[in-house]
Amino acid sequence: MIGLLPLSSEIEIGEHTTRTWLGMTFNIDTIISTLVAGAIVLLMGFAVRRVVTRTPEDHVPTRLQLIWEAVVGQVNKQVEDNLGRVHPFVAPLAISLFFFILICNWLELLPTELNGGTHLLPAPTADTNLTYALAAVTMVSVWAFGIQQKGAKGYFKHFLEPFPVLLPLNILEEMVKPITLALRLFGNIFAGGIMLALIGLIPIAALWIPNLLWKSFDAAIGVIQAFIFALLAVLYFAMAGAGHDDHDEAHETDSDDESGEETPALAH
Amino acid sequence: MAATETADAIKIAGAFIGGGMALAGGAIGAGVGDGLAGSSYIQGVARQPEAQGRLQTIFFLTVGLVEAMFFINLAFMALFVFVLGA
Repeated sequence: MIGLLPLSSEIEIGEHTTRTWLGMTFNIDTIISTLVAGAIVLLMGFAVRRVVTRTPEDHVPTRLQLIWEAVVGQVNKQVEDNLGRVHPFVAPLAISLFFFILICNWLELLPTELNGGTHLLPAPTADTNLTYALAAVTMVSVWAFGIQQKGAKGYFKHFLEPFPVLLPLNILEEMVKPITLALRLFGNIFAGGIMLALIGLIPIAALWIPNLLWKSFDAAIGVIQAFIFALLAVLYFAMAGAGHDDHDEAHETDSDDESGEETPALAH
Repeated sequence: MAATETADAIKIAGAFIGGGMALAGGAIGAGVGDGLAGSSYIQGVARQPEAQGRLQTIFFLTVGLVEAMFFINLAFMALFVFVLGA
């Protein structure tokens, strides 16, 4: 579609370079950006591991190490506050989600667009395919965690509480969670991309002010959205695996093996 | 031939108006929501300045959730204007 812009240029919204294989269409530019972002995260992780295992133990921490320690500490604190302990699956998943989504969002800020309109490294999170995949992985893990913690019958009974008449609303709430997770992240980063394309139409001499301002704002939005995705993942894990003590007040014998701590945020 | 041109024009006009309404509602809602979250944060910090760190986490979480509604509206605007409005 030709945008009806006074500068009469074409901005292609939502266009990806595609390849077909076995009848399925793949957005190659998103896949390449995803691989690049994943490689960056892995490189950062290995670099930090090499620094952390360096002797002597009380060496001066490098900046990368400080960043990782801050993030891991924050996530562990959130996981512990919400789940009661630093769960060995939830905490690494949240940390990986945060860093991967952060690097994916920040790839938008690199000017990798060639003159012919091909974008070498677009933000992969501006493609709904990636965000739906992230949300699907997260929610399937949450549901598996809930069933593992409470047993299949206990987990499905949870939908009938506090009132059985609310069953459709509870099911709807559960089904909407992955959709909102995906669309929230997609909408934020997609809007940033559109705005960058629109700013690119301004003549070069005056381009740099709105470019600078918008890119700073987009960087902050990238951080916030990565943080929200990871934090909501942790909260969904907590909601799926807890709430046992609140509902069974009449059955005192069942709550022997619970930790007995009720996090105030989860009181129904 | 003129009939399809009129039909196309109406379709494009409808798509633009729908997109504009989606953005308007989203902007109003996001503005009100962010303002409420900010005012509660300020009141909480005014009452208890040492709670600023904990409240800041919850504030940014709420702002992110409120902005999410706006950006979902924006995604639907893009759908209406660029895909359905031909």
